[in-house]
Amino acid sequence: MADTPEAVKKSIKTYIFIGCLLFAFTGITVLVASWEALDFGRHGFDTADAVIGLLIALFKASCVAAIFMHLNHEKKSVYWIFGGSLVFCAAMFALIGLAKSDPIDDPYFYRAGDSKITPPSLSNAVEKP
Amino acid sequence: MEIPYVITPRKDTGLFNSKIAIWLFLASEVMLFGGLFSGYVFLRLGADYPWPERTLPVLPGLINTFVLIGSSVTVVFAWAALKMRNWNRFVLFMGITIGCALLFMVLKGIEYNVKFHHQAVRLKDYTIVEGHLGKMKEDDKPVLNFKGKEIEANVIRFEAGAVTFNTVRFHRPWVDEIILQGEHHESTITLAEDIKAITKEGNEAELIAKAGDALSVELLEKIQDVHGKARAHNGAMRTAALRKEWSETRSENPSKRGWQLASDVNIDAAALQPKLLTELASVSFKVEPATEFHFAPRDVQEAETQARLRDDTMFTGKLLESPMVFHDVDAIDFRHLAMRAVERGQDPIAAVENSWLLKNHKWARDAWEWNKEQTAKKEQELLKKHGVDEETGLPKKEPTAKERYRIGWKEFIAMSDGAERGGEKIKVSEEFKGPDYEGRREAHTFPHMEVPRDQVSFASKFTPSWNTYYAIYFTVTGLHGLHVIGGALVLAYYLFFGRKMFESNPEWLANRVEIGGLFWHFVDLVWIFAFPIFYLM
Repeated sequence: MADTPEAVKKSIKTYIFIGCLLFAFTGITVLVASWEALDFGRHGFDTADAVIGLLIALFKASCVAAIFMHLNHEKKSVYWIFGGSLVFCAAMFALIGLAKSDPIDDPYFYRAGDSKITPPSLSNAVEKP
Repeated sequence: MEIPYVITPRKDTGLFNSKIAIWLFLASEVMLFGGLFSGYVFLRLGADYPWPERTLPVLPGLINTFVLIGSSVTVVFAWAALKMRNWNRFVLFMGITIGCALLFMVLKGIEYNVKFHHQAVRLKDYTIVEGHLGKMKEDDKPVLNFKGKEIEANVIRFEAGAVTFNTVRFHRPWVDEIILQGEHHESTITLAEDIKAITKEGNEAELIAKAGDALSVELLEKIQDVHGKARAHNGAMRTAALRKEWSETRSENPSKRGWQLASDVNIDAAALQPKLLTELASVSFKVEPATEFHFAPRDVQEAETQARLRDDTMFTGKLLESPMVFHDVDAIDFRHLAMRAVERGQDPIAAVENSWLLKNHKWARDAWEWNKEQTAKKEQELLKKHGVDEETGLPKKEPTAKERYRIGWKEFIAMSDGAERGGEKIKVSEEFKGPDYEGRREAHTFPHMEVPRDQVSFASKFTPSWNTYYAIYFTVTGLHGLHVIGGALVLAYYLFFGRKMFESNPEWLANRVEIGGLFWHFVDLVWIFAFPIFYLM
């Protein structure tokens, strides 16, 4: 971390560069969501758009954390504290995975021998109007 | 006393104390917002209704993102200025940071305000209608409530000849409102019969209020007072009688346990009766001539011959027509209806065309036909551009369910202007505050509509109660907004009261600003995720 006035002065350009990068990637996120030429996957919003949008957000957040919050060269104790909270955070998302994989809510799960049946969905219906 | 480790780092952690403290705090914040975001994902994956994706206007959210990123840069510049011992630059950059915080909150306030004034209703067949309600009018003049405010045309109307109050629970503002509504319709609300009560043990019943006394909060409070004292007295008498009975029963049966005696312990009600005072749990008034009362749907439970307010005030009479009156319908959404139709194995298009809205409103049929035409054009356009999947034989890209089944305010404007979908002219201010309803009144862009009460399944403003999307949107953005305010206050303190410290111990101030800055970056970090999740997905 830049501590001396000289080192801080040198870092200014990096801060400006990261600021511009964040502005640019915010614009890109909006374009991915709204501009048809950058529409990945199906037309409109779908998993591909969500993944790309979140990856960009993750990249932007990493830039803020690494450069503005000086996590790129911090003391070990900070990494342990912050890393620990991220592990808890990941665990909360993993719990959703467990909850969603529980078949108790799936009315088709217990209908043995009826494997051809698929749950109705709006997208299935609109494919063949 | 000198505070240790505010400038020099501790040997064990390698950090000055407030830095380790802020990182511990930020770690807890990561878990808090992580929990909320994971809750959002859980609700979205499990939603049993079409998720309102991309429902918020993007421009205000985008500007707010730029504002927060900009403030993140300026706060780090402010810290750098202190490190270089340049007070004026610090003031400049910290001032900009706080200005950004204010701008962020103003934009958020506008966004919230628009949502809180936007009405939505889900009909019995799952059609959603959105827009702005009209105001109640009589002889072309707005009807005002007892606070002098205009009343939205979304009330339950009830013609009552009698009204009964619960003397414990009656809500004073509603009593005022009932009096005002009675006066407005030139009806008198008077006590139906004499109220007599025994107020002292051994006395005869005395007159508390006479039949014909006008309804007032003071009268109800007087009756409430008599009732309260009687309840307290009677309760004490019953307890004393029960204790006496227990004591006698125990002394007669010393060898038995309490549970063995319980069935034998009974109060002598007849002996107790002369000692009791009169309780007045409810009091009835008559309305002459019977007249109309109206209350917000959330405050009243209505039936054909009775209506009950949440404070147990009961009206007796008959229910009147109580439609929800939209002055400006700015969206109709059939996605939920189509989803239900698919679940039942029905054709969603046929279900939409058989909906109550399309059967009863020509403008809705016209809008639906226009939207179908636009969707067909989009379908052709996508087919031409992306072709067909060779394996399935189906088009690679197709219009979304939102394009097929939702007609929003931009589509209404395009239709009204004779433009294609997406070709409408929208002013920047409209992106923030929604469409210019007044300006488009002559062109009849946004239809007027009455929704009969028996068609209403659920109605709400765009508040947390409308659906789980808005519930978590307001939770996360509201909590984030509080962080913005808190962070801005701390940074403003450094700006306005930091000069003295700068002159005596500039490194300490720089460290303090670094701590405030770390929190500020975290606030930015949360928004970096909140923006795409709530506005773009």
